[in-house]
Amino acid sequence: MLKIENLHVRVAGKEILKGLTLDVGAGEVHAIMGPNGAGKSTLGNVLAGREGYEITEGSVTYNGRNLLELEPEQRAAEGVFLAFQYPVEIPGVNNTYFLKAAMNAQRKHRGEGELDSMQFLKLVREKLRVLHISDDLMNRAVNAGFSGGEKKRNEIFQMALLEPKLAILDETDSGLDIDAMKMVADGVNAMRSPERGFVVITHYQRLLDYIVPDFVHVLVDGRIVESGDKSLALKLEEHGYAWIAERRLAGAA
Amino acid sequence: MSAALLDEFGVGDARERDESWRYSKAALRALSQQDFAEADPHSTLDASLAASFDWPQTRGRRLVFVNGNYSDKHSDVANIAASMNVRHEGGQRLVLTVTGDSAEPVHLVYASVPGAAPTRWQAAADLELMAGRATVIVQHIGTAGADVLGALHSRITIAPGTELHLMTLSDLPDSISNYRRVNTTVAQGATCLFTDAIFGGRLQRADLNIGLNGESARFESRGVFVLRGRQHADTHLDIRHGARNTTCDVLWRGVADQRARGVFHGAITVAPGADGADARLSNKNLLLSAHAEIDTQPVLEIYADEVKAAHGATVGQLDETALFYLRSRGVPAAAARSLLIAGFCREAFAGIADVEVRGRLDALLAERLPHSHGDREEVAG
Repeated sequence: MLKIENLHVRVAGKEILKGLTLDVGAGEVHAIMGPNGAGKSTLGNVLAGREGYEITEGSVTYNGRNLLELEPEQRAAEGVFLAFQYPVEIPGVNNTYFLKAAMNAQRKHRGEGELDSMQFLKLVREKLRVLHISDDLMNRAVNAGFSGGEKKRNEIFQMALLEPKLAILDETDSGLDIDAMKMVADGVNAMRSPERGFVVITHYQRLLDYIVPDFVHVLVDGRIVESGDKSLALKLEEHGYAWIAERRLAGAA
Repeated sequence: MSAALLDEFGVGDARERDESWRYSKAALRALSQQDFAEADPHSTLDASLAASFDWPQTRGRRLVFVNGNYSDKHSDVANIAASMNVRHEGGQRLVLTVTGDSAEPVHLVYASVPGAAPTRWQAAADLELMAGRATVIVQHIGTAGADVLGALHSRITIAPGTELHLMTLSDLPDSISNYRRVNTTVAQGATCLFTDAIFGGRLQRADLNIGLNGESARFESRGVFVLRGRQHADTHLDIRHGARNTTCDVLWRGVADQRARGVFHGAITVAPGADGADARLSNKNLLLSAHAEIDTQPVLEIYADEVKAAHGATVGQLDETALFYLRSRGVPAAAARSLLIAGFCREAFAGIADVEVRGRLDALLAERLPHSHGDREEVAG
């Protein structure tokens, strides 16, 4: 579904990703772990189409198409979703209005009929109920005045509503207490399906106790240096990222 | 002619007038290079203009002035409350006295209708709120054509313990200019809620002077201007805290696209002895084009003790991160921009309790806000 090959990305003249290669198949959950500054968030932003990232080498193919030539809204309509590390506060823009506009724009792009207000609200209530989110969230401005936990829940709610094919979660666990993290994990687990791929970017192993990944990759200095199954995350937790660096040095010697 | 217009619309000595018209002098000069004839009070309104003030919720309580003159034909005063006294002095001066609660708003309409050549009109409105609460909506509209310059001088007296909500909606074509002076006094324990929405116009200048003269008098203002093309709006708020424990809370937003020019001057003075005053002013502006300009000047002068004051003003561009956030959810770029611009403006009106009024403002915003980026230049350089 997603094939990243030898991706090199510069941000403000500095190379951040230095030849990243990753394959995500439908139905798979891939965890990307790594120390601060390794390029984890850059990966998420590049996949979602944020401006300011210069791709100097490599390719990203999504369901057979060159993902990098699509606008962010086209990527969304094609099923790519990024849960932001820092969801943006947009005072004055109502959550319901925004999500209805987003959903109908996506449906229009895919040649599906637009939902009317009744159909949309029915869907919203359904998803809110499943995620145990109060519906006053929908009457508020997008993320405005939300607590850290509420913002992250709103991201998961949006994901549940928009039903992407490829969901990228950028440190969705950061700043969350254990209850909020479980809620996020429940939301993701409920959406796991054979047609859907996940890239879960995280700094800590803890989230992976709840979202059990099929694959774990360690991103250090712009490259994936180690891949394995879920046990790799546990080893990392035990030994820290320094362990990877040492292993690499040992391997090189 | 320029000097004459400045004499007419300026206040104070030559230096003060100069300073107060600093950002709009060129616009005023350009305007005054024309000769204005007296506007025709019997001009006919076209159907779309007449439709623009036919609001279901103000039927029976609507006073219409065509080129400054009271129009029997277009007014509808069948349901004016008994607690309201309406008096006309010579057709151009309205005296509205309110002596008790009136739940329903009164709707004043000032329509500018062009002649064959540039014309001008002037009118006056005196509003006295003696008891209770009242809502007054003032709407300025016009038809495109030859230049029209309208001037409305208002005097508003808000008696002790009363509450007035004054809402001005000024939505003008590019050929119409508008000068408004509103002198307001707010007495002890009284409240003035002042909502102002300014769209379009060749030159729209408003001098809004508020005197918080009685103890615990309160003034709250929410406003927005939305400009494009070569439109020019200049709003001066001058708030004087003249008594103890007086409050003002001002939140204004401005949007300028293409080659438009917006000016906001918000001055708050806390006079000696006006201890315990609480003054808040926030003015945020959005530039949508490299050729647009917005000047904002918050001024705070405090001569009393134990005063709380906060003021801030910014001029910026659309938040790229917010834009990306909306687009990443599937909202196309142009629609995402519109959403953000509307949200920016709506913030000023979020606290308005009157659902009808908020609905009107929302609809106007939706209609008048730029729908795409300022790089489409419709106006020749």
